[in-house]
Amino acid sequence: MDDMWTSNLNETIDSIKNNDNVYNTGKVIKVNDYNIEVAGLNDVSFYEEVNVSDKASGYVFGIYADRVIVALVKINEEIQPGDMVYALKKEFKCLFSLDSIGKVIDVFGNDLIAGKKFDNLVELSVENRPLPIMDRGIVKREMLTGITGIDLLYPIGKGQRQLIIGDKKTGKTQICLDTIVNQKDKNVLCIYVAIGKTKKEVKDIYYELTRRGAASYTIVVASFHDELPTRTYLTPYVALSIAESFMLQSYDVLVCLDDLKRHADIYRQISLASKKTPGRDAYPSDIFYTHSRLLEKGCQHKDGGSITILPLVETKAGDITDYISTNIISICDGQIVLSAKNFAKGEKPAIDYGLSVSRLGGNVQDDIMKKVGSKVRIELLSYLDVRQIYELANIDEMSEDLQRRLREGKKIVESLSQYKFSPLSKQEMIDKFKFLEEKEK
Amino acid sequence: MVVGKIISIFDISVEVVLSDDTVKIGDILTVSDDKGYSFEVVSINNVSATCISLGSTRGLKKGSEVVKLSNGIEIEYSDQILGRVFDSYGAPIDGNPIESAGKRNINSGTVSLKDVDVNADILWTGIKVIDFFAPLQKGFRMGLLGGAGVGKTVLIKELIHNVYASINAHAVFVGAGERSREGKELYEEMKESNLLDNMTMVFGQMGDNPVSRSKAVYAGLTLAEYLRNEKKQDVLLFIDNIYRFMQAKSEIATELKQLLIENGYPADMAAEISKVEERISSTDDGSITSFQAIYIPADDYNDEAVQTITSYMDGQIVLDRKVAELGLYPAIDVFKSTSKMVDIEKIGEKHFNLIEEVLRYLTRYQELEEIIAILGIEELSEEDKNIFYRSRKLKYYFSQPMFVAEAFTNIPGQFVKIEDVLIDVENILNGTYDNVDESKFLFIGKYHE
Repeated sequence: MDDMWTSNLNETIDSIKNNDNVYNTGKVIKVNDYNIEVAGLNDVSFYEEVNVSDKASGYVFGIYADRVIVALVKINEEIQPGDMVYALKKEFKCLFSLDSIGKVIDVFGNDLIAGKKFDNLVELSVENRPLPIMDRGIVKREMLTGITGIDLLYPIGKGQRQLIIGDKKTGKTQICLDTIVNQKDKNVLCIYVAIGKTKKEVKDIYYELTRRGAASYTIVVASFHDELPTRTYLTPYVALSIAESFMLQSYDVLVCLDDLKRHADIYRQISLASKKTPGRDAYPSDIFYTHSRLLEKGCQHKDGGSITILPLVETKAGDITDYISTNIISICDGQIVLSAKNFAKGEKPAIDYGLSVSRLGGNVQDDIMKKVGSKVRIELLSYLDVRQIYELANIDEMSEDLQRRLREGKKIVESLSQYKFSPLSKQEMIDKFKFLEEKEK
Repeated sequence: MVVGKIISIFDISVEVVLSDDTVKIGDILTVSDDKGYSFEVVSINNVSATCISLGSTRGLKKGSEVVKLSNGIEIEYSDQILGRVFDSYGAPIDGNPIESAGKRNINSGTVSLKDVDVNADILWTGIKVIDFFAPLQKGFRMGLLGGAGVGKTVLIKELIHNVYASINAHAVFVGAGERSREGKELYEEMKESNLLDNMTMVFGQMGDNPVSRSKAVYAGLTLAEYLRNEKKQDVLLFIDNIYRFMQAKSEIATELKQLLIENGYPADMAAEISKVEERISSTDDGSITSFQAIYIPADDYNDEAVQTITSYMDGQIVLDRKVAELGLYPAIDVFKSTSKMVDIEKIGEKHFNLIEEVLRYLTRYQELEEIIAILGIEELSEEDKNIFYRSRKLKYYFSQPMFVAEAFTNIPGQFVKIEDVLIDVENILNGTYDNVDESKFLFIGKYHE
């Protein structure tokens, strides 16, 4: 090792004598899985793009007095200690093409289905500064999913962040797809971000969207677990940068992040590899900030555009109180909780109406939806409570009032069932609950 | 004057080799040819200073020369703060400049034991559960605890509506590490209802870096101290959310490579909290009554940070996911919610006895629920049946339509007087309402005529 240092030093001295620009170059001194340590690069700035000869590229991840850490995003060839590293004198950026709509892309300008790079690429910052509070508007326009249990009871507004959370195989991704398909002819640009999904799943989703005519207004951004973890980590940020550039041109954008639990795990992997002290459940202390600054990109802009985000989180055994889940719940404007039990019972979408919340609620609904929705919600929740307690009681001995609540509650639950890809209009939803009003007369 | 050069950058932690020995801890440094970057000095040795960056460090160059900007973060300390909105570093963000230069360092002093004032009047909030189970006094530090998404922020907003709006006090709202959307909504609502004139807001929200999120609290405290010390006012201080302050501190500690305690909190947590909470005190000049939302991470009530913060509270309201699941809002856990006012000498015999009786009923109710799950209701004794049905009525009765949730629930809000609550609770307990269906008690104000 000492030899290498001396030879490095001698070469540097030679270069200075020859008037080469040594401040922008360095040499690899250590190679890890997806980051390298570099000696030299004396003039480098934080987050600057660097190349390792022609073998790899990445960005500056840490600067120390004697070395620079470079996180790699692309490796073409095995890197060896001693390889030359060049700083490119510009911030690390990702690539995006306007032709991406209707395609499956990564964040480096590749069309993954066609297997080639786009032609007309523009550079995009991985992450912009947070939108100032005063540039935000009020979330009050509806974003209809076509699902009764959501639009009527826990509505989503344009600019809202609504978490979709549940165990494996409870229909989380399906809710995203339903929502995307329901945006047809509604002038909403949709971005589906696959974080650590399998290639097969992503292709299925792409075909499903194409078959339903939703591809013409949807971009699928994908990153896979067999790629470098830094790429997967960056993907949702870049997807939101794409969304932001559209929002600033007054577009309404819908972004689905599928899913953030995997993203948290990838970030934990990267953090531990860079020797950050682990906190709760071995996640680094800034895991909350990792997601909060991402999800805070969701907003209604004062000039008209908006970004609605539907992040997904996978839970284990229906526990939504674990660390990552509660973090993300506390960032979002509400959550749709999906229950494996309901799913098995055939109540689909398998929404747990007790645990689901929308913090914006009626603010994004029109008057009649608000009125019917709040009535149905109160009746439903009180039914679910009563049902549990009186499960063993004899129904004939109950008061008239209680009998009615049990009868109607059952009917409400039935009316909320809905098959996938069969969106309902607002009027159809309201009509389903006519029976609640008739009784009042 | 150039005081040093940057030699190391890792996220928000920046190290500067010093060429000048006047730099002190707390100083604000900036890059001489790019004022967009600034740093606070957190530790120094004889050759270098370790700093935390106030903003993003993207694009910051190794070798950049730094100059000293000021002796610390300062915020306006005059009448001009009223009706205004600031960021964590004291800059107004509502689009209007501030003319005067009456500024003060946000780390200014604490209150000495000699000056702390502990006597004060009761403060009714009009929220049934709070007034009944955890009544509060002027000068109280009230903690509103809850896991994610059980209604802390709605409750804070309802308190702003009921307490601030009705007594027309001066108020400071600190948004620390919470949603920017809610911050903007609160601002618009205050402006629309002409309540902004006596209120000042500070925001360091969750999209901002940890330094900003933690400094928001100090900035807000300085504004509240101005209203107390100079304007001699009774001040209401709303902090949403004090846990986020501690969370931000642990992020900073990690970046500075300090050794951390369990769950990643900094070892000096008690001192950090104390420095904040001890500044929130009443003196002869005026009182500061604070409502502090406390987030419970991973629904872990025994979390070290939560427990450290609550030890400074005079009262606490704990929100429970199981109650929220039943759609009963505010979703309060009555067994954990209490205050130092719950004392026979302070609230009187009647109120005190009713609390005890209600808690006795609800404790028995929990036991009965388990029995019923196996045997059914019919098997209960007459007395237990009464307890069971009356407890359900009590649970429903303690739900309340809130003014700030009107758009959501479609039910107009209600301000309920404590006298009415006591009458209703007594009547439920003594069986006067045994023939009334329980659903009649859901989302109402007072029941009796």
